[in-house]
Amino acid sequence: MVAMCGKGSSSRTFWNKLMEFFTVSLLNGTIYGLLLFMVSAGLTLIFGMMGVLNFAHTSFYMIGAYLAYSLQKVIGFWPAIIIAPIIVGFLGVIVERFFLRRVHKYGHAHELLVTFGLSFIIAELIKLFFGNYPVNYQVPSSLNFAAFQLFGTDYPFYRLMMGVISLLMFGLIFLLLSRTRVGIVVRSAIYRPKMAEALGHNVPLVFMGVFGVGAGLAGLAGAVAGAFYTTNPNMALELGVLVFVVVVIGGLGSLEGAMVSSILIGLISSFAVGIDLSAADVLGYVGAGEWAQQVGGLLTLKISSLAATIPFALMLLVLLVRPSGLMGEKE
Amino acid sequence: MSMQNTKPVALSLRDVHKSFGEAHIIRGVNLELTEGERHAIIGPNGAGKSTVFHLISGQFKPSSGEIKLGQQVISGLAPEKINHLGLARSFQITNIFPKLSVYENLRLGVMQRFGLQFNLWRPIAGFAKVRELTEQLLEQVRLTRHRDTLGGELSYSEQRSLEIGMTLASDPKVILLDEPMAGMSREETDYTAELLRELSVGRSLMIVEHDMDVVFSLCDRISVLVYGQVIATDTPENIRNNKQVQEAYLGTEVAA
Amino acid sequence: MTTMNNSLDKPVAAPVLAAKPAGAPMLAKILLAALLLLLLAMPGFLSTSLVNAAIQMLIMALFASAFNVLAGQGGMLSFGHAAYFGIGAFATLHAMNAVSGQGLLPTPLLPVFGAIGGAITGLVAGWFSSKRSGVYFSMITLALAELLHALAPHLKSVFGGESGVPSMRMPAWGFTFGTPVEVYYLTLAWVVASLALLFFFTRTPLGRLTLGLRENAHRLKFLGYNVHMARVMVFVISATFTGIAGGLLAMSNEAANYSVFEVRLSSEVVLNSYIGGVGVFFGPALGAAVMTFFGYAVSDLTRSWLLYQGIIFVAVMMFMPNGLSGIVAWWRASKFTGATKLGYVLAWSVGTLLCAAGVVFIVELLQRMLSDDYQFQLVQGQPWPALNLFGQAWLPGAVVTWLLPVALLAIGGVVLKLTSARWQALNDGEAQ
Repeated sequence: MVAMCGKGSSSRTFWNKLMEFFTVSLLNGTIYGLLLFMVSAGLTLIFGMMGVLNFAHTSFYMIGAYLAYSLQKVIGFWPAIIIAPIIVGFLGVIVERFFLRRVHKYGHAHELLVTFGLSFIIAELIKLFFGNYPVNYQVPSSLNFAAFQLFGTDYPFYRLMMGVISLLMFGLIFLLLSRTRVGIVVRSAIYRPKMAEALGHNVPLVFMGVFGVGAGLAGLAGAVAGAFYTTNPNMALELGVLVFVVVVIGGLGSLEGAMVSSILIGLISSFAVGIDLSAADVLGYVGAGEWAQQVGGLLTLKISSLAATIPFALMLLVLLVRPSGLMGEKE
Repeated sequence: MSMQNTKPVALSLRDVHKSFGEAHIIRGVNLELTEGERHAIIGPNGAGKSTVFHLISGQFKPSSGEIKLGQQVISGLAPEKINHLGLARSFQITNIFPKLSVYENLRLGVMQRFGLQFNLWRPIAGFAKVRELTEQLLEQVRLTRHRDTLGGELSYSEQRSLEIGMTLASDPKVILLDEPMAGMSREETDYTAELLRELSVGRSLMIVEHDMDVVFSLCDRISVLVYGQVIATDTPENIRNNKQVQEAYLGTEVAA
Repeated sequence: MTTMNNSLDKPVAAPVLAAKPAGAPMLAKILLAALLLLLLAMPGFLSTSLVNAAIQMLIMALFASAFNVLAGQGGMLSFGHAAYFGIGAFATLHAMNAVSGQGLLPTPLLPVFGAIGGAITGLVAGWFSSKRSGVYFSMITLALAELLHALAPHLKSVFGGESGVPSMRMPAWGFTFGTPVEVYYLTLAWVVASLALLFFFTRTPLGRLTLGLRENAHRLKFLGYNVHMARVMVFVISATFTGIAGGLLAMSNEAANYSVFEVRLSSEVVLNSYIGGVGVFFGPALGAAVMTFFGYAVSDLTRSWLLYQGIIFVAVMMFMPNGLSGIVAWWRASKFTGATKLGYVLAWSVGTLLCAAGVVFIVELLQRMLSDDYQFQLVQGQPWPALNLFGQAWLPGAVVTWLLPVALLAIGGVVLKLTSARWQALNDGEAQ
């Protein structure tokens, strides 16, 4: 953590530390945001296409992480990273075909509830198979080195790799959707499924496919990120809430909105985690420090501790000012 | 041009425009509904008739221009505020409460008249006036025998009747009806036209309709909307003989 | 007029709440009175632990019914209802501790602070959440609950730390409130009163408007209603009674900590309500009572109760979309004789029980096999030792160990499929 008070340090060291904090947070935040986007993109595509909010979407993320963890012990890290998302993709197809399609006739709320129930079951199954505690899924030693030095500290290569994979995936999806025939069919199914069906396209197949790809994307994010961040049975929920905040802020159905709000949240979270200041400290600069300390409560909480709550506050702000999201369509 | 208006204006649209992104749907509409008038809006599909209703009733805000209810500017107000000021509308695509009974559907409209929406301490059954008015509406739209039927289980034309009933429930001074007779038989249409004639006494009515018999028999004036603009507003006779209108819309049907 | 659907597959068309309030049928009234008598007499012949279980069941039943005002009646699915439950609990605890532990009010009246806490939180949360509708609404309720969950551990003065906020019930009105039986009657009184108020609410103008919000909020605007305000009010009502339930729990446990804000409780009320059936007033209460009882009964026997809960929920959502209470409506709507219907119900029950047995067997087997204790016993190259299940020893290597549950599942599945097919044929035959 970076101490922001320059008391006693020479201005050059202070400036150095500030630059380090800034650059590191910028990098971390962007990469984290890209990871968030990888997961949110699938969610937003599926919602736009099928009108269903897939509560189990981040469960796919979790399964990806656990699968990669199990597979890498047997077949090595890189094969695991590739195979795990494919398996998760198949799982997605199964969920769509045998669960969602059956309850489609009862309406979107019903489908949402089924995905909710599935996320519940998946979490419990993970606990059954792997235990109700984090597992030791780690970055393999071959990849555990520093990419470069940043202001005197190492910057992990794996982190950069995550960012690059996210960018590659984004680029691939973008090209697929905009340049290929399959992409055009998918886009038409997203905007006008009945029309696309009337034109002879196999829309149920497209649904299944997009659902599977969305799940696979989430699984890939999990497989890659699980090694770096913690892998535990709670990760689906923790990420799920964050992803929901991303799409509320960005607007469901808008890929651009999801990108903007993912990066925004990623950056804010990363910066906040490094700020060991509380409101009381800031007030101290204007002479109200002691009073604030006495009041206690929220005022003495450090921003770094509150980092987890900032996305929610942002969401509430957006709701006040721009209810339909930054780039979403009006309901 | 329109005849001299000696009566006050119930509803007016002045140079109203509406665009959705690039699409300029309403391109400068001027309309006037005098008090007590029954005024039809006709025009080809896609002309923007429903959009005009959406703009008047508050579902959309005009991109520019002004809409007034009497002397009150209503463009940009929320739908419920416009309703309180005395305007009610029906929908082209039936917009009822499918899993509630017909009685309940109508009652929800009536309840609002008495400002009961936030009442949570008296059972609704205890409000005799509400019950009376709901029964009355039920009679008027001839759905008494379907009192307990769920809205979603009515036939299409019965749902249209319910739709009209709900629109009338708030006792509006200005009524907008969007293709109210769609899907009705000859007999139902005649009955509904008679009902509208009765109920619009003391009120002003604007109606979008494709059924020309209804339009010509029921309405005092007709406005023709083509590509988001009103190309003519006149009495039914004059509209029938208007060359421009014949070209744009009526075609050979008028000869019949 | 279309004929009523007879298949269990299609959602039954008429939620009871939509019918005109001409009074529930005689049978329902009698059953309700009998239930009330039973609840009053129960502590006389139940053990202390069962009385405690009954208290839990009552609290969860109230929680589910309050939740249903928003979800089933108002059509607004909230995934964060634990927030109002928890605030209600803490508000009550602080009220209990006030005035040097004497309590701001006599003990039996203290849950009113749960109501106040729930109402205020519901007002704020409802105002924000109702700015959007549909799935956005649901996501916002979840995010708000998680916000509270993340914040609570830091606000030690309000929520205590890990040990939470303790308290003690003070004597009042001649009672000590020291025994579970007294707590039971206190809880029963509050739950019955609250449910009565909630039922009355469904008869009021706002209560009917709530249904309108569910059916077609868009149309309500054009009928002159301020939909946002209406939604907020419904939210507040739901949160208020949820707060009462939380307050009752706080009084019963004499403590609470921030784990009450976990998503687990929010999920549970959703599961309970939909398993019971949200189309009927007492549906969610029924679901909550059944599931809470099951949880209590089997929590000593298995570590996988949550998994079973999830499976039951998904199964109900897929095959019995109107929940348990939907069975009643289905029975009444179907035109066949009681004997025929009973036959089919029995057949479906048998099939379901067989499948359930198969699933439970596999899950329990896996649970034991994958547990750390067992895994430590394993020696490389040696066959895996036997597992203890249902009083018998099963070898993981033996075929029969796995064949049994698979067979149960298969037979159960076949019974279900055949019964459903015959039912379908019966209905198709009638329709002709």
